[in-house]
Amino acid sequence: MAQESTTDKNVPVIELRHVDKHYGDLHVLRDVSLSVARGEVLVVIGPSGSGKSTMCRTINRLETIDSGEILIEGEPLPQEGRELARMRSELGMVFQQFNLFAHKTILENVTLGPREVLGQSKEEAEKYAMELLERVGVASQANKVPAQLSGGQQQRAAIARSLAMRPKAMMFDEPTSALDPEMINEVLDVMVELARGGMTMVVVTHEMNFARRVADRVVFMADGQIVEEGAPDEFFDHPKTQRARDFLDSIKGH
Amino acid sequence: MGLGELLGTYGQNYLDGLLATWSMTAVSFVFVMVLAVLVTVARVSPVAPLRGLGELYVQVFRNIPGVALLILVAYALPQLRLVLPWRTCVIVTVVLLGSAFGSENFMSGINTIGAGQIEAARSIGLTFTQILRHIVIPQALRTTVLPMTNLLIAVMLTTALGSQVPMTPQELTGVVSYVNTRATGGILAFLVSALGYVLTAFVISLVGNRLDKRVRILR
Repeated sequence: MAQESTTDKNVPVIELRHVDKHYGDLHVLRDVSLSVARGEVLVVIGPSGSGKSTMCRTINRLETIDSGEILIEGEPLPQEGRELARMRSELGMVFQQFNLFAHKTILENVTLGPREVLGQSKEEAEKYAMELLERVGVASQANKVPAQLSGGQQQRAAIARSLAMRPKAMMFDEPTSALDPEMINEVLDVMVELARGGMTMVVVTHEMNFARRVADRVVFMADGQIVEEGAPDEFFDHPKTQRARDFLDSIKGH
Repeated sequence: MGLGELLGTYGQNYLDGLLATWSMTAVSFVFVMVLAVLVTVARVSPVAPLRGLGELYVQVFRNIPGVALLILVAYALPQLRLVLPWRTCVIVTVVLLGSAFGSENFMSGINTIGAGQIEAARSIGLTFTQILRHIVIPQALRTTVLPMTNLLIAVMLTTALGSQVPMTPQELTGVVSYVNTRATGGILAFLVSALGYVLTAFVISLVGNRLDKRVRILR
């Protein structure tokens, strides 16, 4: 069954069906349905508190959901245990705060997953890790620990760490929000290149230029709901809803 | 009795006492660390009864006076047909007490690890055990070198409980009782043992400081 679903190009890589989630009284996700096709770059935007990060984090179950369904390549996301760990290993996740392992070198950060989860040898894992670090431009930092790197370098290393697992899709949860302005582009450049290479991506971001340039589709969320979605040019130039128009107006001129 | 006479007569006892204190401390501390890790793993495990058991362990053994626990181990366990050698009784007592405090140290070390790192570890597909082994325990160990150094000193001082049971050879504090029941060593008899503790503690804290600087995690 797994074999069929991985070869079927029409099955969405990620699919959310009627997902609901509450934090106490707060309804953070309201009937969210969404599918991401293979190779698609989906950019999720919206005001803070709109549930976009939460939505992103439900995809690999860093956040649980109250009801609804999440499917990865047509298979329901496992609830817990080894099955969940295996599914997570197939989905890359990049965080706002990088979250590199503080006691390990950059190279060890990138090779840990491949060695422990994929069972690669040290040599094999290091070879691919160095290729990836080269690709994201931090190969020269491989033997330093995270605290010795700039934020931009750390985030690029974190992207390499996810890529080392050869994921089916990559999720980015506000990957540039914690960065100094001069470091934002170096991270976005890596993401643009990934998108061009055909990676399936879900990107939660406030970088509107990135969304316009790279997204295949933009999803606009507010108050836990998907309010509007469409092609980037259409969305940015002719937003259909008042909520989206207000949001776009509010961020204009910056 | 002057210092010269005291050392002349009982020097060998003091030396044996120092060695006994050192060896009991070393053995105890190894078990303290192992047990502290195990108890802490229980306390952070996803299995609720295991977490409860871990908490209970810490609350019980952190709050029993050493002497009371020693009495239980030395004189109550034999009622359950478990008769341990005196030295072992003391070590068991020290390990039970020490590991409860050690686990508290570990917990504070674990709390310094950001939730983000754990989420990142989950995201690359590591299991709970792998996350403990590769992320949590190494970082907790490396951030708690100084409190663990203190614990090692406390463990050493707690081995003085050995003076309350008829061990042979006696440890440093037991030697004092031995000397003072046979001669009038007075305060001097205590001071010689105290010097043994103080010098050892001094060396332990020197080594601890060095180790801390070497393994400290940059943040």
